[in-house]
Amino acid sequence: MDDWNPYLVRRLPATFGVLAGVLTGAAAFVAAGSAVESGRADTTAVVVEATHVPALLTQAGERVELRYDAYCIELENEDAESSCDLSGTVYIRAGAAGRFRELPLRGDGGASQLVARVPDDIASSPRGFTYYAEIAASSGQAATTLPSGGAAAPHQSLPLGSPVTIDLGRHEFGTTVHADERVAEVAWGEGAEQAGLEHGRNLTPTGASAFDVDPSGSVVLLDQANRRIFRWRSGTRAPTRIPLSIAGQLADVSLAPDGSMHVLESVSEPGRTPLVRRFDPYGRTLQKIETAERTSSQIRQGPTGPVVLQQPSGQWMPVMSAGTPIAAEIQRRRGRAGRPIRGGGEIVVLRVDNEIRVAVVGSSGARRTWRIVSKTMLAEVQLADVLGDQVVLVARVYDDAADEFVALVLGDDGLVSRVALDAADWAETAPLGRFKLVGGSLYQLGSTPAGAFVDRFDLGVG
Amino acid sequence: MIVRSRPFIAWFTATFLLTSAGAASAYHTQFVADNCNYAAPTATSYITRDGSATVALRARHEGYQWAGGCWNDNDRDDSPNDPTSDPSTGGEGGDCSGFTFKVWRESQNESDAGFYQWGMLRAVHGPFTASRFKAGHGAANVTVAKSALTKMDALASESHIGMIYAKNADGTDQIIEAKGEAYGTNIWTRTYRGDASYSGVRRTGWSS
Repeated sequence: MDDWNPYLVRRLPATFGVLAGVLTGAAAFVAAGSAVESGRADTTAVVVEATHVPALLTQAGERVELRYDAYCIELENEDAESSCDLSGTVYIRAGAAGRFRELPLRGDGGASQLVARVPDDIASSPRGFTYYAEIAASSGQAATTLPSGGAAAPHQSLPLGSPVTIDLGRHEFGTTVHADERVAEVAWGEGAEQAGLEHGRNLTPTGASAFDVDPSGSVVLLDQANRRIFRWRSGTRAPTRIPLSIAGQLADVSLAPDGSMHVLESVSEPGRTPLVRRFDPYGRTLQKIETAERTSSQIRQGPTGPVVLQQPSGQWMPVMSAGTPIAAEIQRRRGRAGRPIRGGGEIVVLRVDNEIRVAVVGSSGARRTWRIVSKTMLAEVQLADVLGDQVVLVARVYDDAADEFVALVLGDDGLVSRVALDAADWAETAPLGRFKLVGGSLYQLGSTPAGAFVDRFDLGVG
Repeated sequence: MIVRSRPFIAWFTATFLLTSAGAASAYHTQFVADNCNYAAPTATSYITRDGSATVALRARHEGYQWAGGCWNDNDRDDSPNDPTSDPSTGGEGGDCSGFTFKVWRESQNESDAGFYQWGMLRAVHGPFTASRFKAGHGAANVTVAKSALTKMDALASESHIGMIYAKNADGTDQIIEAKGEAYGTNIWTRTYRGDASYSGVRRTGWSS
């Protein structure tokens, strides 16, 4: 039920209206009234779940369609094809202020696919557009809003304008560069200076799931299987071990400017959402903060505290501000398309098939934009960060037999530099935990059957 | 763990567990024995990606059981922390390949590409391991270029398989998977698509 379940999804069993009315009075009764008014006497619970790839960055003249995959599940009905009817509305406006216009979502092919075409006058707005969707079971028993902040934190779509276009051509596998220095290294195991692999049948090798580097060059490596973190002071070979009270599964980590460590868990307790655990430099627990949404994939430091990339909204949400935890509802209302940059503004990334769109965004819109196209398939963007007046971007290129990373330095006139890096991904890590940029150095978390390591690549720019 | 009201059985159980401390085989749950069935599946004339997604979503937050394939829908693992090395602990949940087998409505007969709806509480794993899915074994399964994969297709390695639930803006995928005992079954952001140890697998015969 809603109060117990912090998920985006809202469950409204039909009997809830009666129970809530008895317990909390007329207001709660009215809130659940639609179920009661329908006259249903059963206890069928309904869940609405939706996903959407937001149109974060658009090109001039591009036909923009907003597509949603939405599911309405009657929990007591096991028939796979028995899905309750869904309807939805997109609320959209040119720019980031003013009244929203309503666009009905229409079915498109499969039962779960809803789509709305953005009107040309909005799609072509030089200020871009903002929008959110409300999707509900026709019975009124359940609904969801995407992004979950609704009108307070809608998706923002910005025009690319005149982007710098970079064509990577066809990637030549096997031409990777060597690191300038291996700054941290551990063997697999449970010994004092070893990193653990999680135990489990069918579990791919999973260990040393994330790392970070502070401005002095000190490296921390999360050894989640052994519930600790290693720290290598700059220039030292032997790490110190710091026990952490963590769950022991895949997690991301981010160092705050004050030296505290933020660990983003990926597995949550039943009915809850993933936790961010904050530790002091000695591993003492300072805070636990519940994220707003069902899935979290990345934690980084924003101007006032840690921000977490959360799904299904697909937004960066602050989880703490000036040392104070932010409640889930407030996180949702502060969701942003771009990752906030410490110096102000945001960086927005969108991968569309074999194209990556990147924008550095300020208060007046996209300041600089790039389009990166490739003849080799592009997978995830692991890192996009500002370095002076350039942007460093790391993405994975792949075919059905190989994968590597490409590290690109993007300048105002095009590609400043490009190197290929070995995937070095024998062990599974946090999905977006493999790279960090500190100063002009790119750090990579890698692994082999022998152990895990962190390599430093000096980019020679910035 | 077995929990019964009779003192003798409780004493016996505790003694057994203590004397077997540290052995994986000490852990047994009654979940399968108490809840699951062996009913025949319902043959259906078609399969849709949307329908399979709803089947998969019902398993979210349930447990993981190596070689298992039976779960309820109460949003918790009813047999948590069972040993990872024992397929016979009788716990809740599918493993990665058992989960995929049921969501894809496959047959226990590998030469049959038909569609069979298995109830959540039907204890069945199916004949395919992750490795065999990866190789496209079975009449119902084919390998597909990873770049062509879409909703409810799968990415499989030698030891794991997960189905694509949605794409993210940064090029990652939301994967719905029975990940492991400590993870259960849920949706996570993953980078399997680009990972060379994973291959693309598709169930044949989707209607839509």
